[in-house]
Amino acid sequence: MKQTLHILKAKKVLITLGLLLSGSIAAWAQATISGKVVDDKGKAVAGASVYLDSTLDGGTADTAGNFKFTTTETGFKTIIATEVGHENGGLPLDIKGDMSGLLIKLKSEKTHKLNDVVITAGSFDASNDKDKTVLKPMDIVTTAGTQADVVKSMETLPGTQKQGAENGLFVRGGDASEAAILVDGMVVQNAFFSGPPGVTTRSRFGAFQYKGVSFSSGGYSARYGQALSSVLELNSLDLADKSTINMGINMAGVYASGTKLWKNSSLDIGANYNNLSPFYGIANTNYKFYDVPVGGGGNMHYAWKPNKDGILKVAVNGTYFSSGIAVPSPFQPDTDLNYVTKNTDIFSEVSYRQMFKNKFSLYTAASYSYDYNDNKWGSLPFKETDQRAQYRLEGKWYATTRFSLLAGTDIQHYSIDRDAWLPQGNSVDTFNRYKQNFTETQLAGFVEADWTPVYWLAVRPGLRYEHSELLNKDGIAPRMSLAIKTSDNSQVSLAYGIFYQNPDDNYLLYGYRPDFQQAVHYIANWQLNKNDRTLRIEGYYKTYNDLVRERTTTYDPNPYHSLYGLNVDNSGYGYATGAELFWRDKKSIKNFDYWVSYSYIDTRRLYKNYQSEITPDFIANHNLNLVAKYFIDKWQTNISATYSYASGRPSYAPDWNSVTTPDYNNLALTIAYLHTFGGKWFTVFYLGMDNLTNAHNIFGYRYSDANGSPVVRTPILPPLYRSIFFGVNMSLTQFSKDEL
Amino acid sequence: MKGLILLFSAIAFAVATCTAQDFKSTLQKTFDAFENTQDQQQKADLSNKLGLISKKWSNEWLAHYYYSFSQAAVSYGEKDEAKRDAYVDEAEKEYDEAKSILGKDNDETYVLAAMIANARLAVKPQSRWQKYGKLFSEDLGKAKEMNPNNPRMYYLQGVSKFHTPKMFGGGKKAALPYFEKAEPLFAAENSTDITKPYWGKNENAYFMGQCKGDNADKE
Repeated sequence: MKQTLHILKAKKVLITLGLLLSGSIAAWAQATISGKVVDDKGKAVAGASVYLDSTLDGGTADTAGNFKFTTTETGFKTIIATEVGHENGGLPLDIKGDMSGLLIKLKSEKTHKLNDVVITAGSFDASNDKDKTVLKPMDIVTTAGTQADVVKSMETLPGTQKQGAENGLFVRGGDASEAAILVDGMVVQNAFFSGPPGVTTRSRFGAFQYKGVSFSSGGYSARYGQALSSVLELNSLDLADKSTINMGINMAGVYASGTKLWKNSSLDIGANYNNLSPFYGIANTNYKFYDVPVGGGGNMHYAWKPNKDGILKVAVNGTYFSSGIAVPSPFQPDTDLNYVTKNTDIFSEVSYRQMFKNKFSLYTAASYSYDYNDNKWGSLPFKETDQRAQYRLEGKWYATTRFSLLAGTDIQHYSIDRDAWLPQGNSVDTFNRYKQNFTETQLAGFVEADWTPVYWLAVRPGLRYEHSELLNKDGIAPRMSLAIKTSDNSQVSLAYGIFYQNPDDNYLLYGYRPDFQQAVHYIANWQLNKNDRTLRIEGYYKTYNDLVRERTTTYDPNPYHSLYGLNVDNSGYGYATGAELFWRDKKSIKNFDYWVSYSYIDTRRLYKNYQSEITPDFIANHNLNLVAKYFIDKWQTNISATYSYASGRPSYAPDWNSVTTPDYNNLALTIAYLHTFGGKWFTVFYLGMDNLTNAHNIFGYRYSDANGSPVVRTPILPPLYRSIFFGVNMSLTQFSKDEL
Repeated sequence: MKGLILLFSAIAFAVATCTAQDFKSTLQKTFDAFENTQDQQQKADLSNKLGLISKKWSNEWLAHYYYSFSQAAVSYGEKDEAKRDAYVDEAEKEYDEAKSILGKDNDETYVLAAMIANARLAVKPQSRWQKYGKLFSEDLGKAKEMNPNNPRMYYLQGVSKFHTPKMFGGGKKAALPYFEKAEPLFAAENSTDITKPYWGKNENAYFMGQCKGDNADKE
């Protein structure tokens, strides 16, 4: 009986099981679900995955957005569609049988996230980290005519003036002193190798020492100051990629460096010896180099990551250079003067950056630089020592992904000591020995917010306070920039700011203590960025106020004229306005990359010893650059050409009459051949030719002493016209084949 | 009564193993189908299917592992750069998921991480090789420390060499030793158990053929 009961019970169980099973068999009756996936504009979303939530039943939308799949599910379910470029979307369904004509809409939100709105007014970024940048460090090295010089390569971007006789960046109506060059936020006081007047020299930076370059032609961040027109920011490398050896030889010298990478740290040590005899030896120089530039240097870069989100960097760079050249005397342009340079320069820097829980970041850095020039104008010594110490502290709080706040402070202490024979008063015949010096301490504090209230709008307000101990002056500089996304690939950016700068060092050395000079920038740009093609149109208006002016009644064109016994004040002023175009296309032709930059500027100013508001002599109204690069796979060769044009520049005679120089033309070509020797020595052979057409460019004129008559006008020439430069670089790609 | 309990527990067990069995067989079936098709549309479709599996069995690291792998693999066949990156984003997300379930990396997840880095690099090689090339070698180095006999490691290195231009030390000749190293290691693997990743064998043979082929020397 008991047994029967059991059997009965078991039967019941079996029947129940059977019912359950048959139930699920019934559910196997398949229903076909079909429909279409579209985006918010009604366009088909191809490749979307469409499925019933929490099941394996689903399908993929075809190129017309149509999908179709079968399911054994019944009842209330949610159908979901996902696609990488869109937000997920779905619909509730009550499945009773076949269903068709379902329409699922997906928002294109994710695409917007892929193309974040970025503030671009006045700024060009070159970085390996970010995709959406206009230039990469590699682009700089391969641009013909720039000799792998970071600063020189900026001259192929809009907003800059082509220079041939003076060092530095001349940006949007500003002279070289109005553009600051920074490494990791620290001021580089002598960015260029010392050279004689009228001869440009290289900047001290090699493109591969930096992971990123950010060039601002105006409206820059509240983090920086003391630059009326522009800031060029270089960011040094973090931990090295690998242990390696790099060496090379070219017409300017030899160099070698070694990099060792440990688990969390790396050390890079390099040395170079330079001798420009081969370079100047085969060229026809416009000046006589009776002592060709000879020098050498060493550099060290150490990086240590004590934890995942922190990095310490220590860098020291030292160089020594000497040269002797016969140049037209600035005091008597019709006679040559032997100019001797002996320059020692050291730049050292320690910085530490730490991120805390992705919420807060701290950056602190200290730098010290020393520069000593032991020069001679003919037989008269001219010695100058520049020293600068800087400390910087910045904290940034990432409140949300859409809002962050940065605050920081910056202290700079610097001095210049000059012991030189200088002309006395207006006479060029009498030179006296003068000892000049000044010591300045500058204090700055700044706050800046980054706010993206909605995906199509980014706002960056900032405020900067600056204090000069020497001038005993304070300045409050508001900054503001914003970007509005106008479509998936285009945006409009606006920037505004007030910028202060101390008077030129020379005035301070002569004992004058005028007030800060001021510039106000208004910038608007429109940028279209699609498929490796970039179009940018930018317009700006700047006003200059309180420019330093020498209240003289005569104009002395000699930039080294004596400043003693003058009335110097801040009564200068001026404006600059212009339009710029940048177009780059990396896509249309395989392995072909080109860009066009064109700048138009209209500017006038009354400053220094100008007699009226005029266009300064470093300004060409039209500047054009065409840069093209083509890589020939088969030959492993990169060919790059740059054509630069600048319209004529004004030059002012002592009687304040002006002439215009001829237009500037330059065609440069670089050919690089790439090869790996022995499977591990990556080698580049390069040949560069500058000014292929041998154009006789003139950068302005010098005028003989106004006191003597008649005035003799001599052209300011580049050191050489056509030139050739070649060399080879080798780097070790792997130490051993331990991978196998 | 005792029998009844046994019966129920037997059924419960059967159901439990059934879902586990279900997971493995569904995964294996879908993944093998993914591996055996060369059609981009079908690959994307089957990768979507692997995505559904990873959502349904979201506690299984393998589900995320295979979905991640498939998204990275699909990215190579896509033409639009933004989309390729979006696929790699998804692969990265799923890799993180697999790793968090496991609690730590194993040699296969390191190999996957290396592959994802390579997929990222492949979108824009000229601007990304520096950063992602480094990640690729680092991840493979870690995988090697854990298991020097993982053939996928050498296979991926070979593929990377294969696609690296000759002037940068790549090319067919340079790639061949890696595929040759991987081959016997692949042969020693059991390619029926989905819980032990076995992908790459056929591709390795294909690339080896390419390197040894008639055109290998001409490049």
